[in-house]
Amino acid sequence: MTEVAGPLSGQDAVDELVGLLDLETIDVDLFRGQTLDTGRSRVYGGHVAAQALVAGVRTVDPGFHVHSLHSYFLLAGDPKLPIVYDVERIRDGRSFATRRVAARQHGKPIYYLTASFQREEAGFDHQDAMPPAAAPEDGLDFIALMKSRGNTEADQLGREWAALDGRWVGNSKHGLPVDDARPSRAQMWLRVAGRLSDDPLEHTAAFTYASDISLLGASLAAHPIPAHQAQMASLDHTIWFHRPFRADEWWLYDQWSPSASGARGLSLGRVFSRDGVLVATVAQEGLIRPPRGYELP
Amino acid sequence: MPRDADELLDLLDLETIDDNLFRGSQQPSNLVRVFGGQVAAQALVAADRTVDDSYVVHSLHSYFLQPGDTKARIVYDVERLRDGRSFATRRVLARQHGRPIFALTADFHRPEPGRDHQDLMPEVPAPEDCIDPQALIRGRDGEFNEWDAVDFRYIGSSHDLLPPDPERPGRQRFWLKVAGQLPDGPPLLHTAAFTWLSDMTVMGAALAPHGLRLGGPHTLVASLDHTVWFHHPLRADEWLLYDQVSPVASGARGLVTARVFSRDGVLVASVAQEALLRPLDAPSEDSGEDA
Repeated sequence: MTEVAGPLSGQDAVDELVGLLDLETIDVDLFRGQTLDTGRSRVYGGHVAAQALVAGVRTVDPGFHVHSLHSYFLLAGDPKLPIVYDVERIRDGRSFATRRVAARQHGKPIYYLTASFQREEAGFDHQDAMPPAAAPEDGLDFIALMKSRGNTEADQLGREWAALDGRWVGNSKHGLPVDDARPSRAQMWLRVAGRLSDDPLEHTAAFTYASDISLLGASLAAHPIPAHQAQMASLDHTIWFHRPFRADEWWLYDQWSPSASGARGLSLGRVFSRDGVLVATVAQEGLIRPPRGYELP
Repeated sequence: MPRDADELLDLLDLETIDDNLFRGSQQPSNLVRVFGGQVAAQALVAADRTVDDSYVVHSLHSYFLQPGDTKARIVYDVERLRDGRSFATRRVLARQHGRPIFALTADFHRPEPGRDHQDLMPEVPAPEDCIDPQALIRGRDGEFNEWDAVDFRYIGSSHDLLPPDPERPGRQRFWLKVAGQLPDGPPLLHTAAFTWLSDMTVMGAALAPHGLRLGGPHTLVASLDHTVWFHHPLRADEWLLYDQVSPVASGARGLVTARVFSRDGVLVASVAQEALLRPLDAPSEDSGEDA
């Protein structure tokens, strides 16, 4: 049993995150990751995704680099217990390798991730242009913003995400220009709030950890419901890694929700480094149930 | 490949081998490997067979692992990952010759109400006013065409007929539907038929910024993954607008995300696909055998 984590910030919190992303090897293709008990009822999804990715990476030849992961959240993780990651080797080809990782607690799968790895090769290059966005220095601290909006979990989330620096830029309700063609959009800047080493895996894993933050909120930007009042749960989580980048320098999370219906919302995020390189694309579908007693139109 | 809607129905009707174990048939085909949309659609049908009828598929995520053999039937092995009150999850491994060729995970949701929004459908010419690329092919040789069971209408790409948008260099739009008529139900039939369609034309959006087309001699294109989110019920035998954007290509891979609108403007599905885009003119030590 773990104890509820005490306060931590800055480089200490970053070092703690790096430690959480470093798994214990139990056996061949079997790993264990620690959780962080911040008093919340479930493990943060990005935590499980990042640890599962690291488990997959550990079983792949270092000449291969992760280029995508697809995953489903099945059950809420228990923050009072470590998580076991069981890796299945699906394919070892000349150019590509594929792994499936089952995350388990109490003997039950809580999360499944499949990741694909590629041996580096050259090819075509193009990308979307980076959209206009206010500078991170002009954005609002995301935890302070949650507090000001009355999110009762803000302190716990502030502890959970102490290793991250997030600046909210705006969404379709506030701050971003109206676009009838795309009614649900949001932007924020994120970075790891200290220094990581030069090991690319630290950056990939820390980015994966951070990528589950706020994305689902873009599905609510078209609706007059504060995110913390809706019952929200990530259903799936997908990342395509396009180019190497540093997670400890600012990146723009440009988010857009093309659709919500049937109590589910889909959000897509384009991730740009500050100098305008499209480094990753993220997709997430979430369950979004309106608050109890809320009348649907 | 099926030549008409009836043969497509045959393709989407699997043989039950045992609990959670199914087998899919093949149609005659000259393709060098099984069309990815077929494996994805058959795998979805296999998953759905093991789920209570009150749950409706809302997403599938899949990886292509090996090229499928068009001469051999495909075995679909379903693993039950979750049976919850609101959601059910299945994983399907497609196998041939004892080897996995494709892995799909699909999630099913018991319908419930919620708040709605969607992107607006872009303004595009009607299918009746667009080019039928197959008519061009048929006009050339008039022989068996792998894609006879599909109606395509080409609207354009960022390389030719679409208005320029320097913000998004990789774009392509098609109308497409199953040629002929499918039965009205069950709904999964249309979902599966759309899944079959959804692997067509996609990667053209990633080639457009480079002045290339699918099927051209200069590029090896192999789908790596395939993802569909189903937002609303749809009919696969009525025109669907396939609005494709390739936000990026890098490292011999291209990503395309796409929105699918019914003709009356409802955003019925979203699709994402990453593919290997390997320039063939460049010297390569790899034959592409395991792409």
